[in-house]
Amino acid sequence: MSLMDKLLDLDQRIIYAMLFIALAFPILHPIVLPMDIQAYSQESFDFADSIPDGSVVLIEGGLTAATYPQGGPGLEVQIVHMLRKDVKLVFFSIGTETAAWTVTAINNALARLPAGVAAENGVNWVHMGYVPGGESGTAAFANDIRSVKSEDHFGTPIDQIPLMNDINMASDFAAVFWWGGSEGSIPYGVRQIVTPFGVPMTGMCTTNEVPNYSPYINSGQLHGIIGGVRGSAEYEYLMSMPGLALGQAMATNFGGLLWAFLVVLGNVLYFIARREGGNK
Amino acid sequence: MDSFLLGLIAGSFVSIGAYSVLIGDNPLSKFTEHLYMGILGGFIFATNWNYVKTNAIIPVLQGNFVYIFAIILCVMLLSRLNTDWLWLSRYPVAVTVGAGLGLAIRTTVMSDFLGQINATILPLNSLDNILMVIGTVSAAAYFIFTAQTEGPYKYVNMTGRVFLLAAFGVTYGQTVSFRFELVIGRLVDMLRDEVAMYTYAMLLIIGVGLAYGYYTKKIKWYSGR
Repeated sequence: MSLMDKLLDLDQRIIYAMLFIALAFPILHPIVLPMDIQAYSQESFDFADSIPDGSVVLIEGGLTAATYPQGGPGLEVQIVHMLRKDVKLVFFSIGTETAAWTVTAINNALARLPAGVAAENGVNWVHMGYVPGGESGTAAFANDIRSVKSEDHFGTPIDQIPLMNDINMASDFAAVFWWGGSEGSIPYGVRQIVTPFGVPMTGMCTTNEVPNYSPYINSGQLHGIIGGVRGSAEYEYLMSMPGLALGQAMATNFGGLLWAFLVVLGNVLYFIARREGGNK
Repeated sequence: MDSFLLGLIAGSFVSIGAYSVLIGDNPLSKFTEHLYMGILGGFIFATNWNYVKTNAIIPVLQGNFVYIFAIILCVMLLSRLNTDWLWLSRYPVAVTVGAGLGLAIRTTVMSDFLGQINATILPLNSLDNILMVIGTVSAAAYFIFTAQTEGPYKYVNMTGRVFLLAAFGVTYGQTVSFRFELVIGRLVDMLRDEVAMYTYAMLLIIGVGLAYGYYTKKIKWYSGR
């Protein structure tokens, strides 16, 4: 068997091992490669930055254990960003696990807040917790929050939360940030909040879902999007708050370079084999 | 040892177990899979039970009897657990699907149909706009299966296919990147200074265990490419 045949018959486990090394190396030995800010991330950041001080925004926290490392750092920085502008935040989640991870994001963000920034639960932010029903639940929440939630995530009755005094439907919010992770739920926000109530929205999704939602950006229904760990890293960079996402983005670059090399190598070998009359 | 560190170590162990499926199906990967499904199932059930209790059972006990219908529908969903009563669960599923569909269709025409058409009607004054219009029209035309691919339509079809393949390529690349990010997310926690020692030790133990299992043929070696 020639070297070319051996390469074309390479056991996938060897590729996994190579990928493991390529991904682990930059984590153990951080290396910074040059990185541009993507237009979608810049648009999302500019949109968030343009929200008037003192407004109230709605945040859907849709990150899970799997997607939190990608979106979590970005969400944490965005919470800091908004609280520093005295923007009030109302969180909710359409998943059970995601509601718990939203608490993690809030706690981590509060720990990174500069001294003197107001961040009182119930006054500056509130987590309304899990809203079941997917898109139906989102529609019900958007139309009448009190019809689906009688208390917040921590059990405080909604009528005892000062921030919720004048808020009961989507039109009471200045904007929506939909941190959908891999939920595939950004269309819920577009269909049930942006279209019927005219509330502007931006969001975050995992890298693989960015192409699915780019039509919403072109049509103006979505004001940019934070895509995966790179989007989070860019938010960190724009806020001058380097964190976990920036390091992970570098590891993704290394994995991507190796993968691109393997794809090119595989194709070159395939065409050589075919030209030589092989049956590969 | 604090609970946070214990959680990281357990997470590292479970991650290694989950990724060991890449070597081939093995008892550890199955254990991890079942553990994850069990914990997640229990957590989801408990959270939903709490929601039903807060938003339906307590209101009923306080005299708001309209929520009895919601409770009955919830109980009917559980009839799936018995095959003889499975048919009962179709009613709440039908209500859920019907309500979801109705709510989605209400605004889908505006957001996913008219909004997208509007976004495609662009002035042809930049390369971006020209590509957007040609790409959208030719990709949509590719799916006219009733037309013969001959004459001028052949070129429209070919252009549409090029745009579709480019879109699939982008989606593939993004998906690969997403999978990397999933692994990296775990690796960051597994390779923290305070956890790395446990991760390496577990990798070694699991490696030796699996090697022994495959060598003694107690675990079937996956031989496909």
